[in-house]
Amino acid sequence: MTGSVDLEKLTPRPKIWAIGGGKGGVGKSVVSTGIAMTLAQKGERCIMVDADLGGANLHTFLGMSHPSRALSDLFRKQSLKLQDILLTTPFENLWLISGARAMLDMANPSYLQKMKVIRQIFSLNADHIFIDLGAGSAFNVLDFFIAAHEGLVVVMPTPTSIENAYHFLKAVYYRKLRKVVRELKAERLIDTALSEKVKSGIRSPRDLMIDLQYRDPLVGAQIVQGMQPFNPRLIVNQVQRNEDRDLGQKIALACRDFFGINMTVPGAVRTDERVLIALKSRRPVLEMFPSSPFSEDIRRIVQQVTLASEMSDG
Amino acid sequence: MDEKELLISFDRLGLSPDASIREVERAYRELCELYGEESLATYSLLEYAERQEKLESLQTAYDRILQSRLYRKPAAADDLSVVNGLVRPEVVSRIICVDADPDQNPGIFLQQMREARGISLREVAERTKIGSYQLQGIESQRFDILPAPVYLRGFLKEFARVVEVADVEALVDSFIVLYLNDRDV
Repeated sequence: MTGSVDLEKLTPRPKIWAIGGGKGGVGKSVVSTGIAMTLAQKGERCIMVDADLGGANLHTFLGMSHPSRALSDLFRKQSLKLQDILLTTPFENLWLISGARAMLDMANPSYLQKMKVIRQIFSLNADHIFIDLGAGSAFNVLDFFIAAHEGLVVVMPTPTSIENAYHFLKAVYYRKLRKVVRELKAERLIDTALSEKVKSGIRSPRDLMIDLQYRDPLVGAQIVQGMQPFNPRLIVNQVQRNEDRDLGQKIALACRDFFGINMTVPGAVRTDERVLIALKSRRPVLEMFPSSPFSEDIRRIVQQVTLASEMSDG
Repeated sequence: MDEKELLISFDRLGLSPDASIREVERAYRELCELYGEESLATYSLLEYAERQEKLESLQTAYDRILQSRLYRKPAAADDLSVVNGLVRPEVVSRIICVDADPDQNPGIFLQQMREARGISLREVAERTKIGSYQLQGIESQRFDILPAPVYLRGFLKEFARVVEVADVEALVDSFIVLYLNDRDV
């Protein structure tokens, strides 16, 4: 029992989206709100979960005042269920579970408490659940990302943001690798490979995977297979110049080449000053400026992701 | 060459072993660009030394694949007809004539000088400590991937010396003039 979220054992009903990727300010919340609004407008029931404990502000993106109920209440009161803290938003088909309200007055939630909440999130009654992850690479953030059906990484075309995204992806990658290796009891194989890595010319996770397959064809292949169902999607936000439009593809290529991660790029989002106007008016961009470049790009991304997941589902 | 190395070479370029030469060249070029010093996409993924290593490993992979296919550049094939097949193939690469104008095309001139002397790009890279990606940029006169003149000048000098260009200074000046003209546009 590793205590991690095992999706296969739960009903596949809601589609879980996890949005992560490094630092604050790159547009994780704007993008995830946009995607949720797009699907809600199509009549799909969406729940947004603000998992950025300590920095939660999704309610503001949705034009709501400070929430009366939040995740922290669950940790305080054992009898409460996730359903009880579901908030209605001003928009049809869209609900919010807030992470707001200061947690300073209470002890940090225990691991078990957190796992309980995670399980409940995965069995909520909805078509889509969006988990807006906080910045950073804490273990529960990584686990959410690994367990989700759709993992979205949002970056801006700046060196700092890209650096953070790589940091995040590396952390996710090694977290997942550890899990796979532990399940296969292949720790020794990995240790031997890593101790000889200079001799074998292993310079990246992908080199390691290749080496493992030569070292032990059977277990090596199992590890590679175990790492396979991990296809995060990359969204480059606030694209200004034409050349930045290809940036996502380039990062994806580097990820394939370096990690062997099959990352896809459903699209880029153009810089749009209306996003700031909408933020200041505390209204979602999709609702205030439905035909702005931002809204167009988001709708295209949703279309791409939907198409891709329909194809992979057969 | 052992088969594993060759397979790894294809894998380094993200290709399957049945890829065409054209695909090999394209993948190689794309990856060199991806890991170039100016690349925003990988700037923070690799350290300086890792980046150099990466570029070297791409070069090695590329060389190995081409070698395995006994691939020769079109220029060499032309030379083969010039000598009427009297020369053994392995020396063909040594008799490429140097016909580029060092003032008009100093990069191509450097490449021809290098080939005429039978020195591989890798050797030049080892002797000058300049990345082969940049050396290749010099040979193909890809000004957009080359560093600022203050560094470029040193690179050119080293390169020209290794391939024994007679008038190093003149060649460096011609190249820099071309570079600056290109950057102006």
